[in-house]
Amino acid sequence: MSEKIPSAKEVLIKGSFIHNPILIQCAGLCPVVAAAASLKNAALLAAAVSITTLITCIIASALLKKVQRWIRMGIYLIIGISIICPVLFLLETRSEAELPLVMKIYLPLIAVNSVTAVHCEQFSVRNPVKLAFYDSVAVSIGSSAVLLICGAIREIIGYSSIAGHELKLHATIRGAALPFGCFIILGFLAAILKWISAYRYPSLVPDSEAIVRTKPKKEDGEGTVEVDVFDEFWNESSKTDLAADEYDELFDSLDNIFDFNGGEDEK
Amino acid sequence: MKIVYDLFVTALYAVFVQNMVMSFGLGSSEAIRASSKPDRFISLAAMISGFSVATSVICKLIDMFTASAELPYALRAAVYGGVLAGVYFIAAFAALVIFKASKKAMGTLGISALNTLVFAVPFINNTASYSFANCIGSGIGAGIAFVLAAALISRGAVRLAENKDIPAVFKGTPAMFIYVGILSLAFSGFADSTLFS
Repeated sequence: MSEKIPSAKEVLIKGSFIHNPILIQCAGLCPVVAAAASLKNAALLAAAVSITTLITCIIASALLKKVQRWIRMGIYLIIGISIICPVLFLLETRSEAELPLVMKIYLPLIAVNSVTAVHCEQFSVRNPVKLAFYDSVAVSIGSSAVLLICGAIREIIGYSSIAGHELKLHATIRGAALPFGCFIILGFLAAILKWISAYRYPSLVPDSEAIVRTKPKKEDGEGTVEVDVFDEFWNESSKTDLAADEYDELFDSLDNIFDFNGGEDEK
Repeated sequence: MKIVYDLFVTALYAVFVQNMVMSFGLGSSEAIRASSKPDRFISLAAMISGFSVATSVICKLIDMFTASAELPYALRAAVYGGVLAGVYFIAAFAALVIFKASKKAMGTLGISALNTLVFAVPFINNTASYSFANCIGSGIGAGIAFVLAAALISRGAVRLAENKDIPAVFKGTPAMFIYVGILSLAFSGFADSTLFS
């Protein structure tokens, strides 16, 4: 029996959304985590990832189907280098604005980006050129969206600006611009994407009912009931009420720690 | 003696002080994927170290005997990329013809050679103006740093899978990303970074 050929729409939805290369497949994390700390850098990386993925996937589907896998892996690197280096050269020599050092180092690393290798091996070399093109477009959209969203969030939180324009926020969390901040942002973005996918395409997402459910279920002896987590939290919290004298003691100790009176009492 | 000292210090620096995977995100996709196969950790560490050392040493020689270290980054990237491709093809050909490597071993070879971690090592050596001993140390450190990160992720992945309190929407990659983020935060402590301002 022949395998069912997926439609272009199905390839686009799955490639960019349900099986998002970065958030769901954990591929191509290095440029997002290490270099996409601002919207401008993220836009440049997104363009580089998209061009490399598109060209490499099409070449892999058109010419490399009969080549052995270990040779193909090396060819992906050579194709990536041949695309990235001229672009970087133009940016370095012709661009009016000085390219940040981080971009000069991380932009060439896109040549060995796992998004390209994974999709060439899992999809392009097994499908016709037309479908490989759709898949690479979907992958480019999916990874570019994550790069841009991450870049924008990290710049706003980490530097209090967006695309270089100052926002004058009261506080910034510089950690958001560091790799650990990006991993945590990616975690929340992945959860949001998973929830939207389960809600919008329940038939395509495993365990979609449990994902979409906002109230968890638990066994109470008479069957399964929904639990309101906020009610439960409130009930549990109220059980730890302190006696009046214990409150006084607690606030006295807090006064000493934070010195709310600014030492005026002593004057 | 100084050469050995430089080698060890650079390796330790690359593993613990600025773990290339956790502090820079280099090879983090591969580390997360490799964490599910603990039986491959030692071979991965050896291969990544081998490829990093070979690529670093050849790139250092090219930088010394030509003016490539002074070239624009784009041309330097082309040289380093060409070296990495050459080292990979020679190693893969030798593994296939001389050692009759299995398909699985060839797959591991590809993953360990063609990743951002191995490709970044010559750039890091060049930017930090490392000596020969430093280059070898950073190459060895790259392999150990990768396996340390993969082992930590692997241990956490087991705990995350066993934890039934994690909401369904956070199960899988979301929880994994947050866990890796916390690990990365721990390594950021060594790097003296400002987290809040």
